[in-house]
Amino acid sequence: MNRQYYLDLAASGLKMPIGTHLVLHEHADHEIIPNDGRRLGGVIEEAARRFRCPLALPLMDLKLEKEALLLARGIAAAEIDTFHFTETPGGDWDIPLTRKMDAVCEAIQYIARETELLPVGMGIGPFSLMTKLITDPITPVFLAGDGATADDEEEVALLERLLQLASKTIRLYLNAQIQAGAKAIILCEPAANNVYFSPNQLDESYDVFDRYVMDLNRQIREQLRAADVDLIFHDCGELTDGMVSRYAELDPAMISLGCSRLLWEDAALISKSTVLYGNLPTKQFYSDELVSIAKVRELSDQLLSRMREVGHPFILGSECDVLSVPGYEQTIKAKVDEFLKAE
Amino acid sequence: MNDPHPLSAAIIAGKRKDVPELVQACIAAGESAQFIVENHLVPAMAIVGERFKNNEIFVPEMLIAARAMKEALKILEPMLVEAGVKPEFNAVIGTVEGDLHDIGKNLVAMMWKGANIDVIDLGVNVPPAKFVEAIRDNNARLVGLSALLTTTMPAMRETVKAIREAGLTPKIMIGGAPITHEYAAEIGADGYAADAGSAVDAAMALLKA
Repeated sequence: MNRQYYLDLAASGLKMPIGTHLVLHEHADHEIIPNDGRRLGGVIEEAARRFRCPLALPLMDLKLEKEALLLARGIAAAEIDTFHFTETPGGDWDIPLTRKMDAVCEAIQYIARETELLPVGMGIGPFSLMTKLITDPITPVFLAGDGATADDEEEVALLERLLQLASKTIRLYLNAQIQAGAKAIILCEPAANNVYFSPNQLDESYDVFDRYVMDLNRQIREQLRAADVDLIFHDCGELTDGMVSRYAELDPAMISLGCSRLLWEDAALISKSTVLYGNLPTKQFYSDELVSIAKVRELSDQLLSRMREVGHPFILGSECDVLSVPGYEQTIKAKVDEFLKAE
Repeated sequence: MNDPHPLSAAIIAGKRKDVPELVQACIAAGESAQFIVENHLVPAMAIVGERFKNNEIFVPEMLIAARAMKEALKILEPMLVEAGVKPEFNAVIGTVEGDLHDIGKNLVAMMWKGANIDVIDLGVNVPPAKFVEAIRDNNARLVGLSALLTTTMPAMRETVKAIREAGLTPKIMIGGAPITHEYAAEIGADGYAADAGSAVDAAMALLKA
């Protein structure tokens, strides 16, 4: 892909939410649609047109990879959400795509064949997937950061094995989306943040972050490069500057960050060939007390103004997937509409 | 400020493997299990909570401190049971229906235990009826509801409603990334904690009111 495409989008003044969830939940049968690729593609297209966005942004469902990995291991579907490994799984096993993953690929095919929109795929990052596979991922990460190895601590051995399995699952799924026609992939690492990695420990060394987050994400970046597919990297968690710098070294086409970051300051950490995206506090849009419409306008104006001052390519948007919250749909939509009007 | 007791220091530093020997040393010195909990464990976790609130430490450090505390409780809890010593307060905690996130909930549970509150942890994706049952069965004085997603916040409202409609009157505290004081008031909860570090103070304020 041509990186200039994303820079041109930023220069055009594009504003866009990650808003497919909002549009999906306008449909009465929203629970069925993610299993039907053609209809899912239709919703993705509907969202792109509603928000006047040339990118066909997928539905952010970061549970698919865990489901695929565990179903392939023989775990019952009803147990998947709450299942955690307690022993290091040995051996290897095939990981077929699930019905929902097939639907995602069918949706991408629909977008690629039937529309002029850019087909975009999505996957959870290996570290974030690993955190869904064990009860307490934080302790072994901390122990490893203190120097413990897989030989020293069973928890560290378990974590490292699960990172391998996570990476395998994710790369299979991303490959399927690329084969279906995805031209960009949004790679989401929401768990690679200050909750799981102590900033105190990182002040001493980023070794554990590099081993557990960056090494595997670099492999995925190479996978995408080999397929001429662009990387859009997303992490909405609370981050250190060191984490942001490392994400920038992946050389993604776009970086999407959460509202705890000041994007005009992060611009100094990121090459101008990478577009910055975000980062309105959309997780709080349900609450007029926390974020009024006037506040949305103020924050939007501030972001646009400050990013122009620093001269970094920027697309105004949401800090994450804008979720439709029952009872607050109109409140949230009004605020999305408000930031889309910002100049 | 005096240096903390060696057992407290080990808990604060998360030195789990040192804890059993230090607990045994306290017991050998004639300290009762209750004394050890109230004078070494509770103050240690209070320091941990304070340091977290002051951004001196973060979630990982809190977690390994709590793990070290649990190591002490493994030895002390049977002794407390045998002596008929019960915590003054008890609490039920869980992540509401539809939400699978548990880190925050687990941290709050650990901090409450560290404050000598007896905690019944219902886990994640807990339907309102299960909260009601646990409150009733345990005569719980305090309930903690956790949600990380805006989409599962309505389940908090339903849970509060179910508890009140069942005629139960524990203090209800809510928390989680999207949660606010205003939302707590809106749904009829009694209180709110911004994070695990402030969860003990918030709980005690409700329980002792």
